[in-house]
Amino acid sequence: MKKILWISLLFITACATGGSHEGASQNYLVESPEKWVKLNSNKYLIFTRESAFEQYILIQQRPVDKPFKHTKRTFDKGMLPQEAAEVIIDEIISDRTILNFRVIENAPAVVNQYDGFKVVFTYKNKEGLEFKTIYYGFLQGDWFYNLRYNAAENHYSEKDIRTFERVLKSFQIDASQSV
Amino acid sequence: MKTFILTLLLCFLSVGCATTRALPVYEESGLTVEEKKLLASAAEEQAFLESSGIIYEDEKLEEYLHQIVSRLQPSSVRDEIHFRVKVIKDPHLNAFVLPNGTIYMHTGILARLNNEDQIAALLSHEMTHVLKRHALMSSWGRDAGSPAFLGHLGKIGDFLALLGSIGTMASLSGYSQELETEADLVGMAMMSAAGYDPKEVLRLFEHLTREKEEQNIKEPFFFGTHPRVERRIENCRQFLGTSFEETGPGQNIERLFLERMKEVILDNASLDLRAGRYDSARRGAEKVLKTGQDDARAYFLLGEIFRQRGGSADYGKAKAFYEKAISIDPKYPDPHEAIGLIYYKEGEWVLARQFFESCLALSPHPPGKAYIEGYLKKCVRRGIDS
Repeated sequence: MKKILWISLLFITACATGGSHEGASQNYLVESPEKWVKLNSNKYLIFTRESAFEQYILIQQRPVDKPFKHTKRTFDKGMLPQEAAEVIIDEIISDRTILNFRVIENAPAVVNQYDGFKVVFTYKNKEGLEFKTIYYGFLQGDWFYNLRYNAAENHYSEKDIRTFERVLKSFQIDASQSV
Repeated sequence: MKTFILTLLLCFLSVGCATTRALPVYEESGLTVEEKKLLASAAEEQAFLESSGIIYEDEKLEEYLHQIVSRLQPSSVRDEIHFRVKVIKDPHLNAFVLPNGTIYMHTGILARLNNEDQIAALLSHEMTHVLKRHALMSSWGRDAGSPAFLGHLGKIGDFLALLGSIGTMASLSGYSQELETEADLVGMAMMSAAGYDPKEVLRLFEHLTREKEEQNIKEPFFFGTHPRVERRIENCRQFLGTSFEETGPGQNIERLFLERMKEVILDNASLDLRAGRYDSARRGAEKVLKTGQDDARAYFLLGEIFRQRGGSADYGKAKAFYEKAISIDPKYPDPHEAIGLIYYKEGEWVLARQFFESCLALSPHPPGKAYIEGYLKKCVRRGIDS
């Protein structure tokens, strides 16, 4: 039922994109990928080429002190990128619906000029479908920003990764926007 | 007394209460259509669980648990049900059994128990659900399928969402008051017949009650939905008082037991740490140290708890535990990296560099290698600048 609602929401609010977009109620700007559709919400900005169950690029900004759903660990403003990556991995591992979780890469990374981390991982959902995610994240002031490319195993493509990298490169924090 | 308990157990297993069918379980000729369906669902769910990466792989531990099951299993049904025990990597306190006799115990509950009798208490309870065909009774609609039962499913955790069959779901979510009470009482009779101390059931309940209070949860899975834990404890006390006055000490040899369980306790403490359950993680690490063994990994975990939970205020305590871990096992790379991280954050570039370098010398390819190499470059640069 949740899925149906989600898909309906996607089609109702989706629109063709291109050009610069800011997250709704957020203080960042990104260049939207051409010919991908956008779903904007208060929680995240999401683009998909076909459908979100096949692939998506997601950009999210969350308060540093906001509790996670599955782990009781929390961010701390003074955390190193490695420590922030640990918290994200622990949140995913503690989610009991994420199966066969495997970290392929966990390394420091720079998003625009911000020091952060890059974690690449695979997992299966309860239906046995395998997904692969490239997850960039960094802490900046009171916020944790993350940009992800997620695709089902048979939809994961180098072309989409290049698109994601262009989005990543265009990411900017808009200091003029107070949140 | 032993004869009395054996007689009591035989009565339970062969007659049961009015609502329980007394046929031996899984005797092919006696299988109903519902039972076949239930077993097919159980086999599917078992295959799913065991391919999902959540099984804790430790052959020796499984063998040990299987020995306890064999000792508990009444000889009258030994050939009819082949119980298996698997351990799930999960720090929450739970255990459940599929109708085909496969018992799943979370690392969380194994790590909390103090002796073999307490494991026997848990296993005998789960075995009774199979021996008395509780899942089948639930699939007949006495428990499962009712609006109350289905409504309950959404509230007891997302683990249930992984499994599909209503009949087998009951084994996770708990059965009715009558069936849970039966599992408690028959379980105690099985324990006593096998030479375990049934009074340890009360200690098992104490662990679960403590978890319930600490984690602020309504009822852990194992308690099921009915009756409430207080009532189950009271039922067990009464049963103990009337039937088991003369039982011996059982296998209540805590130190030997904890030595055997050391690895699973520490692995579970790591899972607790990942879930941010710091008090549980600390209890696990300290439990291992209480056996009188100095264990480097236990001290490292205590260091991690203080580094992760307390932030800079607890760095001193964290460093002391890491240093203790290094003193016990100088070749253990993880505490070197962790101390390096603390010194790095404190701006102690020379000390940080020293520990990062010693970490890489001990383990040339640690999981955090890319980060460590970055820290080393900065340490060198900042060390020169200062």
